[in-house]
Amino acid sequence: MSKRLSQVSLSLVAGTNRRDVSDVELARGLSAGESWAIGVTWYRFAPMVLTMAERSLGSRSDAEDLAQDVFLSVFRRARTLREPEKLRSFVYSFAIFGLKSELRRRKLRAWLSFLTPEVLAELAHRSVDVESRDLLHRFYALLDRLSPRDRLVFSLKELESMTIEEVASVMDISVSTVKRSLAHAMARLSRWIMADPGLADVFDTRRWQR
Amino acid sequence: MTRGPDDDHRELRALNALTTLARDTVQRPSTAQLARGLNLLFARATAYRSRTRVVRWSLAGLLAAVCTLLGVQLVVVLRGRVPEQRAVEYRVEGGSVLAGGYLRDSGEDGVRLLFNEGTKVNLMPGARGRLRSLDKEGTRVVVDQGTASFDVARSKDRRWLVEAGPFSVAVKGTLFTVSWDPSSERFELRLQHGSVVVSGPIASGDIELRAGQRLLVNLPKAETLIIEEPADGSTPGASHASPTLSAEPDPAAPALAAGRSTAQDTPLAIRSSAVTASSAGNKVERKSSWADDLAHGHWDRILEEVERRGVDTTLEAVTSEDLFALADAARYRRRTDLARAALLAQRRRFPGSSRSLDATFLLGRVEEARDKTRAIGWYDEYLRRAATGSYAAEALGRKMVLTNELKGRSVARPIAEEYLRRFPKGSYAEAARVACGEP
Repeated sequence: MSKRLSQVSLSLVAGTNRRDVSDVELARGLSAGESWAIGVTWYRFAPMVLTMAERSLGSRSDAEDLAQDVFLSVFRRARTLREPEKLRSFVYSFAIFGLKSELRRRKLRAWLSFLTPEVLAELAHRSVDVESRDLLHRFYALLDRLSPRDRLVFSLKELESMTIEEVASVMDISVSTVKRSLAHAMARLSRWIMADPGLADVFDTRRWQR
Repeated sequence: MTRGPDDDHRELRALNALTTLARDTVQRPSTAQLARGLNLLFARATAYRSRTRVVRWSLAGLLAAVCTLLGVQLVVVLRGRVPEQRAVEYRVEGGSVLAGGYLRDSGEDGVRLLFNEGTKVNLMPGARGRLRSLDKEGTRVVVDQGTASFDVARSKDRRWLVEAGPFSVAVKGTLFTVSWDPSSERFELRLQHGSVVVSGPIASGDIELRAGQRLLVNLPKAETLIIEEPADGSTPGASHASPTLSAEPDPAAPALAAGRSTAQDTPLAIRSSAVTASSAGNKVERKSSWADDLAHGHWDRILEEVERRGVDTTLEAVTSEDLFALADAARYRRRTDLARAALLAQRRRFPGSSRSLDATFLLGRVEEARDKTRAIGWYDEYLRRAATGSYAAEALGRKMVLTNELKGRSVARPIAEEYLRRFPKGSYAEAARVACGEP
């Protein structure tokens, strides 16, 4: 255990033009414990992980926490990456695993009533008005009611605009399971939305017409 | 009652509208956010070794604790008494809370909300606001217009969110006043104690403020003004009791940030915000840097160091990150010539870097005060080189505004149409609609 970290030198001095290295070189750098590779990996993939996590969880601070865990895992396990050209998928797999764990943890915390999860959605709501924020609060409260798998499938498909096949691939489940989960999630969400007067009127307002 | 295809269609449209809102709301993290994350990551990586050792040895103890907790929970549930977090309660002075959380004053002294957790909110006379939500996770207060002061009691369990127009202030425990004027789209925040994080449309990242700082944002001009004030509020006009939102920026204001914030401006901190650890030990050493100085508002420290080293020498010697920090510090202190020189040096010395592109945009911002035609030239170059870059919306918006000022609405109209087509929800969308003659 200590061997892994001790070989990751933590001096943050970046070489010039290192940010332009290919994923293959980057993966090799990480695997070799090159210090520059840590910063470059972060800047290359953290935006992807942060936005995906924030959209899925509805909380920027939770997304930041998750990204920290994801990249710590990536750096610790870099040596296990057999195909360096698949570094992006490698990072993605840790992100999906982290999201699954976080959603399960939330469900568990909700079950243990004395550890109510903090769900005061705090998205990076720039240019979003108060009413839109209210809608987002309500929407994420509904997402919290879905099972972790249904929620993640819905988030990846609808919020991350992945195809069914991509969702199946990153979640390591079958296409038919994705389709079933998605249909289930959408049916339940639609029903809950229509049962909420504050949300049901959303589409009747002109501003939502697209 | 039977459900028809119309009902299904209605449901799907509502779901799609919400999904689109959730998808579009989240934006790419700012450079400052990424820099903070990387520093934290290194600190955590360093701490990991010692922590895992402790965790390994105390695993048995932890399991025992979890079992005990579960046992306690079981007993509590069986007894039918679920412990609740202490409910947040409040009382209102000088007014009442109407349906929808609207605060109405009954006199001329404004409305005061006193919470049992110790937080005090004071809506100044003439201000309009709402208590938007209040639950065990946190509290949201909206300032629709005017000025309100907040003395928020520190709590690790609850979050406070203050919203004023398009701005959002995340609070832990602090004393500050916030003002919002929707007609002139001006936002002001004075921070007496503690720290807050402000999100808003002017910056693509958060603005972190520390005690004694005052933030002024003028949305139409895309200006962000950060002013240092004594933390005790002794500066005239910094009074906690009667803050006002001035119509024009304070001419004595020392810091002018053109469209970006201190936090956002923090350059990538790989080199300059260095955290080092020896491979043999766990000691973490944090080196001071211009990026850190910038993030903490120590702009004068950077400028003094430049004066000491010599401007020309500095511009030729420092790293790309430090050049960027220097340009920002100079802009905040209205040293526009120095800012311009640093940005030009950035372009000349690091032509292929992403910061060179950012410098092109910022040169436009700096140049606006001297030569608007030249500023448009910089924006054009930025848009040519980075049509989908981080500042594309801002560059196109500024180009539209300047063109409107210099050549009139008819010339600005095609730019406005392009802006609306590309950034229908952007900061300049309203101005673009006006330029297009839309209602």
